[in-house]
Amino acid sequence: MSVTEFRVALRLWLDEHDLSPTGDRSREAELAQVSRVRRALYDAGWMRYGWPAEVGGLGGPALLRAVVGEEVATRGLAEPGAYSMIEVLAPTMISYAAPELAAEMVPRLLSGAEHWCQGFSEPGSGSDLASLSTRARRRGGDWVIDGQKLWTGLAQFATRCVVLTRTAPGHGGITAFFVDMDTPGITVRPLRTMHGVDDFAEVFFDDVIVPADRMLGRPGDGWQLAMDLLPHERSTCFWHRGAHLFTRLDRLIARTTPVDDAELGAAYLALHTLRCRSRLTQSRLAEHGRLGPETSIDKVLLGTAEQTLFDTARDLLPGEVELNDGEWRTEFLYSRAATIYGGTSEIQRNIIARRLLDLGKD
Amino acid sequence: MIVDGPELALLAGTLRRTMATTSGPALDRALYRLGWPDMLVEIPEIAVPLVFRLLGETGAQASVLNDVVRHAAGAPLPGEAVPLPFAGGSWVVWERDVETVSTTTFSVVDRELPLRRTGTGEQPPLAAGRRALGWWLIGAGRAMLALARQHALDRKQFGRPLASFQAVRHRLAETLVALEGAEATMHTAGDEFGAMLAKAAAGQAASTAARHCQQVLGGIGFTDEHDLHRHIRRVLVLDGLLGSSRELTRQAGASIRTRGSAPRLAQL
Repeated sequence: MSVTEFRVALRLWLDEHDLSPTGDRSREAELAQVSRVRRALYDAGWMRYGWPAEVGGLGGPALLRAVVGEEVATRGLAEPGAYSMIEVLAPTMISYAAPELAAEMVPRLLSGAEHWCQGFSEPGSGSDLASLSTRARRRGGDWVIDGQKLWTGLAQFATRCVVLTRTAPGHGGITAFFVDMDTPGITVRPLRTMHGVDDFAEVFFDDVIVPADRMLGRPGDGWQLAMDLLPHERSTCFWHRGAHLFTRLDRLIARTTPVDDAELGAAYLALHTLRCRSRLTQSRLAEHGRLGPETSIDKVLLGTAEQTLFDTARDLLPGEVELNDGEWRTEFLYSRAATIYGGTSEIQRNIIARRLLDLGKD
Repeated sequence: MIVDGPELALLAGTLRRTMATTSGPALDRALYRLGWPDMLVEIPEIAVPLVFRLLGETGAQASVLNDVVRHAAGAPLPGEAVPLPFAGGSWVVWERDVETVSTTTFSVVDRELPLRRTGTGEQPPLAAGRRALGWWLIGAGRAMLALARQHALDRKQFGRPLASFQAVRHRLAETLVALEGAEATMHTAGDEFGAMLAKAAAGQAASTAARHCQQVLGGIGFTDEHDLHRHIRRVLVLDGLLGSSRELTRQAGASIRTRGSAPRLAQL
């Protein structure tokens, strides 16, 4: 089946199966909706294409996953950020978890039975992952984790978490675990964001016991795991995110009458550029199966495009962001984080300077 | 004519060497000897990016945009220069036979280009020409980035290379982001609208490159002795040709407003 045939068949199916969200915009309702959409798409097979058979997939090119995500985003079926977590965490499990663990767990994520989170950032190390200090030490056949994570997306709703810990000094001393969130000793404190949503949480680990078979990779593989995971955060997820942003541009066009075409055009050009770049990234991923620091370019383009779009919306819909309690307000405010989340634009530029322009150390 | 792999690398090498030593009418003749018209007709998707991007990277110039526009209009090759629209409703001709015309009317900002104003012309097909200019602008942007990057590595201030200062690194990184983004749009420039967006993105990226690279080069980048200004002047003119990035962006905005939605040109 070609990508085009797949898309046509999927669209037909989605036309016949109404998965539209209810009007409830609470975080709980949004996540329940994400689960409902994943469940339906999984049961009908769509969600299983592009994933290997070992984890319950139906095979086929990974590109098919981008197609499913684009349709979900374009139709507004699920909150885009939460939906796209599958693209970050499932590939990581496939690459690093023991095969039996991946086979058991990945279908739970894909089928909407569970949400997972990613425990990377800490109060003392945001984008500077190498400085993380959450500690894991061996105790008998288990490991014991102590420390604190911050900016952990969806932690209060998650069943499991991929946690980076320190087991020795330096880059080579970072070790990843797949932790059940109901393990005794884990405390989650939700963080309210400026757009009024419980998006993130602080997660405290106090003598949290994790069996050794929940280690992802081997001791010291955590840094490499993070380096492999981050390009996933900036590839298929961004194809979904770009599709979502296009729906917002369409809404903006529908709302505006006599407008500044230059500003509207600039927002469109930024989104178009992001989408063209994101498509090239998708084809590189399809050809080589691996991505690297070049995805930092996608991240900078995304941050710029997202903020340009919502700045334009605020300009062309005067009063909407400031006076109305609607989606333009929350999405505008959320867009302020586009140059921060997933590694700030400054960190991305540092990576571009060092790794792509070969400018040496800063 | 099949050009791929090593054959393409060989052709690119030959073109680069030729452009390093030849420019203007002599380069026109050299390109014709290398089979440019046949390449344009038979393998435009390879020949146009290759030739125009190399013009940008080497800083050479030739009047081959005329061939691209003529060919798109179904006119025979070789042939005379065609009037081309320029930003602000002006019209220009990129002279081919420079020995016979007065150079006093040529572009003032980039004196190397035999470009002169003319009255109105007949609107030529624009997409192919805009794609060619897009590649040229990106090539010029990459040339500027290469100059600024080398300077940042070589030049020391306060006891360490410029390249170690984050403010400098970030300007160069932003330049690469703009160029890579614009280059991505070139791969989605197959139709009229895509070519328009790509030319806008390329013009914008080249302007970004000019601004950041001149700042990184500091005083030396403002002098006549350094090569940078030649690329900056080139980019100023090429951006205006067949519509400036500003005009095309506004046109794109008007277009999506009229359509009522924003076309997703890039598809998986």
